[in-house]
Amino acid sequence: MLLFVVFFLYPIISGLFYSFHDWNGVREPTFVGLSNYRWLISSRDFSRAMTNLCVYLLITVPIGIFAALGLALLVDSFTGRWANFFRNAYFLPVVLPAFLAATIWRWIYAPNFGLLNMILGWFGIPAVNFLNDTGTMMYALIAVDVWVSAGFNMVILLAGLKNIPTELYEAARLDGANKWQQIIHITLPMLGPVMFFVVTYSVISAMQVFDKPWLLTGSSFTEYGGRRGALLFPVMDMMGQAFGELKFGLASAYGFILTTAIVAVTAVMYLLGNRKETK
Amino acid sequence: MTVIRLARRPDVWTVLKWVVAIAVAVIAIFPLWWMVNVVFSLPGEPVSINPRLWPTSVAAGIDKIAMIFAETEYFRAYVVSLIYSILTIFGVLAVSSLAAFEFSLFDFPGKKITIAIVMLSLMVPTAVTIIPTYLLTSELGWLNTMQGLVVPGIASAFGLFMLMQFMRAIPRDMIEAARLDGAGHFEIYWHIALPLSRNAMVTLAILTFMRTWGNYMWPLIVGTRPEMYTVGQVVGLFNAPLSHQTVDVVMTANLLAAVPPLLFFLIFQRKIVEGIAMSGTKG
Amino acid sequence: MAKLNMITGGIASLMAIFACSTAMADDVTLEYWVFSDFAQGDALALQETFIKEFTDKHPGVKIEIVGKGDDDLTAGQVAGAASGNLPDVFMNGIRVGAQLAEAGVLANLYDKWMAMPEEYRAQFDKNEIKNCMPEEGKLYCLPYTGYGSLLFRNLTVLEKAGIDPSKPLTTWDEWLDQMKKVKAAGVNAIPDQSLVFNSIAEMYAISGDASTWSIDWDARKTRIDPKIMAKVLEKFVAMADLNSGTSRNDQATKDLFITNQLAFHTVGPWVDPTYVEAAKNSGLKYDYVLIPGDTAGKHGGIKYYEFVGVAPGKNFDISWEFASFITEKEQMVRWAKLLSRYNSNAAAMNDPEVAALPLVAASVEAVKGAMDVLPPYFVKAVPNCYLSTVVDYTSATADGDYSPEEGAEEMISELNACLAQ
Repeated sequence: MLLFVVFFLYPIISGLFYSFHDWNGVREPTFVGLSNYRWLISSRDFSRAMTNLCVYLLITVPIGIFAALGLALLVDSFTGRWANFFRNAYFLPVVLPAFLAATIWRWIYAPNFGLLNMILGWFGIPAVNFLNDTGTMMYALIAVDVWVSAGFNMVILLAGLKNIPTELYEAARLDGANKWQQIIHITLPMLGPVMFFVVTYSVISAMQVFDKPWLLTGSSFTEYGGRRGALLFPVMDMMGQAFGELKFGLASAYGFILTTAIVAVTAVMYLLGNRKETK
Repeated sequence: MTVIRLARRPDVWTVLKWVVAIAVAVIAIFPLWWMVNVVFSLPGEPVSINPRLWPTSVAAGIDKIAMIFAETEYFRAYVVSLIYSILTIFGVLAVSSLAAFEFSLFDFPGKKITIAIVMLSLMVPTAVTIIPTYLLTSELGWLNTMQGLVVPGIASAFGLFMLMQFMRAIPRDMIEAARLDGAGHFEIYWHIALPLSRNAMVTLAILTFMRTWGNYMWPLIVGTRPEMYTVGQVVGLFNAPLSHQTVDVVMTANLLAAVPPLLFFLIFQRKIVEGIAMSGTKG
Repeated sequence: MAKLNMITGGIASLMAIFACSTAMADDVTLEYWVFSDFAQGDALALQETFIKEFTDKHPGVKIEIVGKGDDDLTAGQVAGAASGNLPDVFMNGIRVGAQLAEAGVLANLYDKWMAMPEEYRAQFDKNEIKNCMPEEGKLYCLPYTGYGSLLFRNLTVLEKAGIDPSKPLTTWDEWLDQMKKVKAAGVNAIPDQSLVFNSIAEMYAISGDASTWSIDWDARKTRIDPKIMAKVLEKFVAMADLNSGTSRNDQATKDLFITNQLAFHTVGPWVDPTYVEAAKNSGLKYDYVLIPGDTAGKHGGIKYYEFVGVAPGKNFDISWEFASFITEKEQMVRWAKLLSRYNSNAAAMNDPEVAALPLVAASVEAVKGAMDVLPPYFVKAVPNCYLSTVVDYTSATADGDYSPEEGAEEMISELNACLAQ
């Protein structure tokens, strides 16, 4: 209990405290009221990061979850050795450290000679500069993201699937339900709590997306976000403010705006989830 | 069981299912295989010879690996990272399962508030909390120590949240029954809640390992001395953008970092299967 | 499970004890943080030689060398400053200097510096000492290694495009002409220079110089001249169809160069080991020359320095002695010879053996004509929006969203808005 209080509550409260201060991490913080918040809201990069985040969130979460559910059902439909093999194969990207995945994907996406452009070339499609063309950068990120998160969520969903009593399916089959109907009427409702966890966690982690776009764009604390800021996200900007400019007060304020947004989104989902459960 | 019976009649769907399953597997596995091929190729050979389907020089790859082990403290970093990860896993499992047990199966005053705080801490980006947590760790005199690395990571909101979701599914009447049989609080936890959430625990262990192994920022500021370097930090030495290292050496260092998590997963994936099978029968 | 837990717990506590005991064992232990390159292989061996020579003369002093990547150095120093666990002697890029000075990480070395014999002070590059000295009475660093950017040329590609590389490349127009020929031969001419701040600065120096590139901190305005910037942006428009789409720092760019798919690469000398190895293994033919300017005699490119700083605190005196020892000519000569790299000890650069190293000789020349990348240093921290604004408007102009004049105009007003905050 103490552990939770000390390592959860204290950092949050002191973070909130610093968000009202001008603080470079070393000198005494000076109180500046709401000016950190005011500055942020009017800053160009803030609105850009938030816009990017909205687009990213709306695409990556649904795709990621559908992919994960699809993979979970797919793996579940195999048995024995093959089920094992496919499950392990799909989980493999999760096992790779982010910096490794990013290095590999940077090469795959490379213009001129990247693997992906070579494959496109077979079909006569002209080369695309995936990571530097502002029109494709977001999708390039989402592809990598789904590549990793699908396996992650699949494992959790699989654990949920295995907990569904087989008698339910037997009974449904006796009632003449086909496979599709079984999925809709048994699998999905029984996955309820696990699914809620997967969705919530996906949303929360998508809103804090950081390492993949950071590494894919070759960012540093002073230059980040990729060409024309097309892959600039709030946490990246926050890290730049904190460690690039030593504006820890500003970074904390940034964090709390983002946290508020995350809380709001999660609360809405929680209410929707509850309503479904009571139905 | 239904599935097998359905699969006996090879139809379009079965074929399609296999095609999709194999295609996705290729997409999942090939990038890593490509990386392996880059490492096991002659030094100075361009990376961009595509498609790289096979390693071209196993000996050169082994040389690179030997060079990295000889020139950097990669091995020590393995040990540090392993201890860090394993301690964190046990810590997270113990703390999260106990807390999730209390939260999801019992009512007590202040429960809602506590859950709200836990959820909140899941939502606060680490960039906000990292400096205060660091200062706290520093106050405790834990910089450059194993407990400094591990303890702040044990309070895992993620683990708690995940186990809570799973434990909610445990029927309350089972607990009531156990209580009527005279089982104490801890006995219920140990004999009922834990075995029933075994899958979730194994899954959480694996995910915690991946997270801890890949964690970069925290070890970076807490473990500043080389003897506390984790694998991520040693790799970071190679990944510096203006590094003099050649591309294939950088890739080798990166790939080596992925070996322990891969092994860990391959060893323990059997455990997941067993865990799933056990709870399946009890279902 | 419990057993394993005990064992690992035991190991952890042992390690913790070990960590504490090394910290207390001697009279003074200095922590010395260097760039990761300098803590690997031969470079590390030489650094350890320096340390040994120093500690032999100063019994009771122990020095622990720690290597860190660029960003990690800064993060570690900031975190260390916040908790009072600063390294005693450390390196960083000069661009980060102002942040570190503001955070109180860097001690003022002026008095110590002035107390040194004139003979020692005269060893350093004057301009670089000036960079470390934002005002009279304040010296925040000792300049250490550095670079001037060079133009690496792939000779195989040039020949294929019908260009005679032996003819000296003197102006931007000639260079652009060559780039077009290379592209006509079906090869990429140059990396996408609009992707990172440093390569934009390299291009700006072709037309302008530091007097119009710096920041006027009193007025909080950029000194960038709209006319020169427009001229520079025209270059980016001209290069838009000639480039490889990868940045100057991408690993992929080096790979293109090695495989004869890229003609020019403007970058610092750290790519040379990769190219040397490729020359050995795959027959890469390349050389390096100065980046041409708009007019003959003027040169493009940037110069940049890494510095050695000393933390304030109880170990300050001995830390300064160590810092001044490693930056001294004798050490810098050995350092330059080992890495074949330029550094800011001018006396060391004049050492005949060092001056004979081709890469050093070229760097010395490059530095003469090159522009400081983000001056003035150690005055105020340049906000990140300054860098991102320069990069964004350059990219947008190269994409055709603005005409060069509009782009320059908009960029400058946005830069001033960024500085005013």
